[in-house]
Amino acid sequence: MIHQYKNNGYNIVMDVNSGSVHVVDDVVYEVVPLIEPLIEGGVRDRDTVQAAVAGLVRPGFDAESVREAVDEVLELEKAGQLFAPDIYENYVFDFKKRSTVVKALCLHISHDCNLACTYCFAGEGEYHGRRALMSFEVGKKALDFLVANSGNRVNLEVDFFGGEPLMNWQVVKDLVEYGRSIEKAAGKRFRFTLTTNGVLLNEEILEFANREMSNLVLSIDGRKQVHDRMRPFRGGQGSYDLIVPKFQRAAESRGQMNYYVRGTFTHYNLDFSEDVKHLADLGFQQISVEPVVAQPSDPYAIRQEDLPILREEYDKLAKEILARREAGKGFNFFHFMIDLQGGPCVAKRLSGCGSGTEYLAVTPWGDLYPCHQFVGQEQFKMGNVDEGITNTALRDEFKGCNVYAKEKCRECFAKFYCSGGCAANSYNFHGNINDAYEIGCELERKRVECAVMIKAAEAEKEENREDEEE
Amino acid sequence: MKHIKTLTTRDLKKSMKKGGCGECQTSCQSACKTSCTVGNQSCEKIK
Repeated sequence: MIHQYKNNGYNIVMDVNSGSVHVVDDVVYEVVPLIEPLIEGGVRDRDTVQAAVAGLVRPGFDAESVREAVDEVLELEKAGQLFAPDIYENYVFDFKKRSTVVKALCLHISHDCNLACTYCFAGEGEYHGRRALMSFEVGKKALDFLVANSGNRVNLEVDFFGGEPLMNWQVVKDLVEYGRSIEKAAGKRFRFTLTTNGVLLNEEILEFANREMSNLVLSIDGRKQVHDRMRPFRGGQGSYDLIVPKFQRAAESRGQMNYYVRGTFTHYNLDFSEDVKHLADLGFQQISVEPVVAQPSDPYAIRQEDLPILREEYDKLAKEILARREAGKGFNFFHFMIDLQGGPCVAKRLSGCGSGTEYLAVTPWGDLYPCHQFVGQEQFKMGNVDEGITNTALRDEFKGCNVYAKEKCRECFAKFYCSGGCAANSYNFHGNINDAYEIGCELERKRVECAVMIKAAEAEKEENREDEEE
Repeated sequence: MKHIKTLTTRDLKKSMKKGGCGECQTSCQSACKTSCTVGNQSCEKIK
């Protein structure tokens, strides 16, 4: 399966099944789609292939170049880097039979919030239920459950989430202390993370977080008017002015590493690249700004007709990132980060986010859900921290959730980058977890294209630098 | 090659043999919480 596209002056050919990425000239760009059906039909004979593309010869496309292009394409095919067959579907079958372990928990440490964000899927922190804070006892049981159900996994992840987790800070600290007290004897290593709106962030919290939290997710949407419109206090006043200096301090105190400022864009700020630039101008170097997930009836929801604008925004942002890196003022944009060399194995790419299997959310009362997005939907309750997973049928349904279980993913070039997308989005839009949220898919495909283009541009820059040195 | 520059990528086919240890980060624990982003995760064995 091939995906080829032009972006920012680069011709890019992605070989989906091998994971290979090629930057090609105009001749190869036209040759590849002509050769693909031949290879699929089992035709590899050089003369036959050359004859099939002979019609491409024209002014600017001389016969010699076309011949060379064909030879190079056939060489890559032979090396398994072009037109690689899909050999993973049977692997998935084995994969579904695997025994799963739990390795990550999203602890809903507080079902309460001091902000009233318009788009909050947690309904101002309460997840459409009652306000509550997790007790230390429930959190302790959750950590014990994680250790007991993690098999031979060493790295265990625990995110303190909400609502707003700083509204229950003492319990966060006590749970970190408890986790540290048991990890060595259990042969485990806890990686704690904290997601916060910043309202209660102070030096004491920051000092603790910098010592104990492997990542901080700091919620901010971008420009003041954009942020304050969607992230007000319950009284209606904006939160931007309060949180920006705190987040700047947090980012600096962590050496601009191991954190994200994380924003949401909506129909109200389709020009979200301006928000990303604003966050970069504020000095943040680790930035994630993501599309809102909302019901189509919500006025701020991203609509189908917004997609052309959003695609352009991603293109603008990709160019901006390259320009700023060139100027020595670079920053990372989460959705453009792609690890081509050291990225995940196929098993990871097929199995998706792990919701309902290796990743679970825990409510303040100790109930287990497939992930934070399902919390509050009773039919998705999987068990609790006392009894463990009791709804094994539901767990098995999530276990079977992979790119091959989703019809829409089969022909999508991005399937091994997004891994089949978000199960909760699928459920929200289609009533089952094995479908796909089309607007999300469109945006994901665009992001992958931009991310790969950035890699191509950086590779070219590196090559030019090496040429200059020689 | 004269017409093609291939970026260095991980061979997905080979990763079938040695992959699947499950130690890498769960994607939703990274930053997203509303989307599934796997391609930017790093392999614990490689890094």
